[in-house]
Amino acid sequence: MKMPRAAEADWSRWTTLASAVVVAFFFSGCAGVQSTLAPQGPEAARVALLSWVMFIAAGIILLGVTLLCALAIYGRERWRGWLAREGAAIGGGVAFPVVTLTALLSCGLILTSRGRPPSADMPPLKISVVGERWWWRVFYENGVGGSFESANEIRIPVNRPVEIELTTADVIHSFWAPTLAGKMDMIPGRTNMLTLQATKAGVSRGQCAEYCGGAHALMAFDVVAMPRPAYGEWLAHTAAPAAAPRSPIEREGLKLFLESGCGGCHTIRGTSALGKIGPDLTHVGGRLSLGAAILPNDPSAFARWIRHNQQIKPGNLMPPYGIFTDNELAALSTYLSQLR
Amino acid sequence: MTIGGKRSTAICFVAAVAALGLGAFVFVWSGLYNAAASQPHLSIVHRMIEFALRRSVETHSALMTHPAFDDSNLMRLGAAHFDSGCAPCHSAPGGMSNPVVENMLPRPPKLTLAASRWTPEQLFWIVKNGLKFTGMPAWVAQDREDEIWAVVAFLEALPNISAAEYRKVAAANVEALVRTGGMIAKYGAGTESISQCDRCHGTRSEPPTSALVPKLAGQSQAYLEITLRCFATGTRQSGIMQPVAAALTDGDAAELAKYYAGLPPTTAADSSQKPPPDQLERGKMIALSGVPENGIPPCLACHGDKRAATFPTLFGQHAAYLRNQLQLWRRGLRNQTAQGAIMAAIATRLSEQQIFEVAAWFESVGPRIPSEEVRRGRRRR
Repeated sequence: MKMPRAAEADWSRWTTLASAVVVAFFFSGCAGVQSTLAPQGPEAARVALLSWVMFIAAGIILLGVTLLCALAIYGRERWRGWLAREGAAIGGGVAFPVVTLTALLSCGLILTSRGRPPSADMPPLKISVVGERWWWRVFYENGVGGSFESANEIRIPVNRPVEIELTTADVIHSFWAPTLAGKMDMIPGRTNMLTLQATKAGVSRGQCAEYCGGAHALMAFDVVAMPRPAYGEWLAHTAAPAAAPRSPIEREGLKLFLESGCGGCHTIRGTSALGKIGPDLTHVGGRLSLGAAILPNDPSAFARWIRHNQQIKPGNLMPPYGIFTDNELAALSTYLSQLR
Repeated sequence: MTIGGKRSTAICFVAAVAALGLGAFVFVWSGLYNAAASQPHLSIVHRMIEFALRRSVETHSALMTHPAFDDSNLMRLGAAHFDSGCAPCHSAPGGMSNPVVENMLPRPPKLTLAASRWTPEQLFWIVKNGLKFTGMPAWVAQDREDEIWAVVAFLEALPNISAAEYRKVAAANVEALVRTGGMIAKYGAGTESISQCDRCHGTRSEPPTSALVPKLAGQSQAYLEITLRCFATGTRQSGIMQPVAAALTDGDAAELAKYYAGLPPTTAADSSQKPPPDQLERGKMIALSGVPENGIPPCLACHGDKRAATFPTLFGQHAAYLRNQLQLWRRGLRNQTAQGAIMAAIATRLSEQQIFEVAAWFESVGPRIPSEEVRRGRRRR
């Protein structure tokens, strides 16, 4: 049965609109803090360039093939005859793919090869990241031969190469900070190295890119690129122990933290809490987010996490702490929030 | 025979069945069958009920197997509970018979011969599920099969227990209050009360009657009050403790908690097992340093000297009790309370071997740990 002409026009209008919405939806992922197409450093810029080269080349080839198909179906007899010759088959079916694919492959190999070796006057900054059961353990060098621990946030200086050592404590994870570099897996028993560099200061977001269990999608991190002097100050501050609580409510919070067993899993340097199982909380209040970049960093989010973490991130290794009264929870959250 | 003859036979048969059914209904409806407990059942009714009951128990318990009863702690726990939970109806060796109970129908049987009439599995099924129309209740905490097996272990031992031995094993700590006539007139004469904690938990000078029963002396008042509340509301399950806690007012619970918090910790240890030193050493490492690679924090982070008032101390606690509770957590039976939910996450990460070692260490150190040792352990971590 044939559709009436008006209905046909309507239908085609609707499909056009729907495709536009779908395309717009997907392209909305191309902007913002977690996009390969919005590079903030040379590594990511090469990935973005390669993406564009591939998209455009593929687009041109698709267009050409479509034209040839149209020609083969609707074209004049002379053109169709020309297309049917053996020469056209060899040229379009063998020579053209060999040339284009070789060109694209070379382009890909060149763009994805390791960047320039860092120059001697600018040795790369070293950061270690360990994939955990849905969070990131981060080690920074403290500048005097040792290291200190943080979590769920990578801070780097601008215009300096950073070498990130990637390992895992359990299963395969993948470290992906799209605005700065491509994906790199964290594989049990292996150490992978990823070099990246930020060209301008700013905040972006990373995500685990290899399925690693139930809450895999909730395993993200913030990346902060900072101007050089500010970075030095931040590093020195973060390497130092936590400040002692000042107000009575903060002191109450620290007391609750220590007597409720939080220190069995978490470290707050400068207190007797030295646990190594969960994230280091020494400067947790100074991070951009909580729970591996899934909650804002404010006292109410701390309270929600402490009490309902199994609803927020099911299966994570922290027990749900429902034992606190509202006042106790407020004291604990206030104390943790001011650990900047 | 003709077709019509066959048909009339069938009609006769149907009519006879209908008449029988109707007759039975009219008999029941008339109320002539005597439901009075003062009159025995008709012999045929009695036999039918007995037969149905025995077959039901046999069929439902056919696929079970009983655990080993060689640990006398199981029997002792069962004995102490029997004295408060079962003896009031079933009477105990040497106990008085209650004329009210004797006028029940069916009359609760004396259980001295239960072990010869039923297999352990059948006894378990009866204690767990109770029996319809007999007055025998089901076990309060259906998932606490460990407690039910304790009662069965006692019933298995009962045939060989004299009245004197029974007092010793089931009610050694129960002291009859010597009352004057005036006191009896005012407060009553009962010597047995379900809430006599001493019966199981021991006294100021005596340890608990079974290593499966926790020592309460030296726990904080806050912890004991919370625990009693959890038992009373059923968020912590126990067929033994829930009825006791439910019988207490808030004031009673607070007073009891205060009393036990003030008692000096008992030093008596269950000497039935002596684990080798290397196991104790590994248990100590778990308690002081945890097993970070398995996500196990040190026990003392919550159960050490600087713990919150609502957390229990474990020093000197019976290893058998600790092991049993950790198993309950592993089976998902202690995660309904706020405190229990924290431990539930950690208990499931401990292996059987680690549970054994860490429980043995807590018992071995006695009620107090030298604080020097705690400090050294913390530093090592």
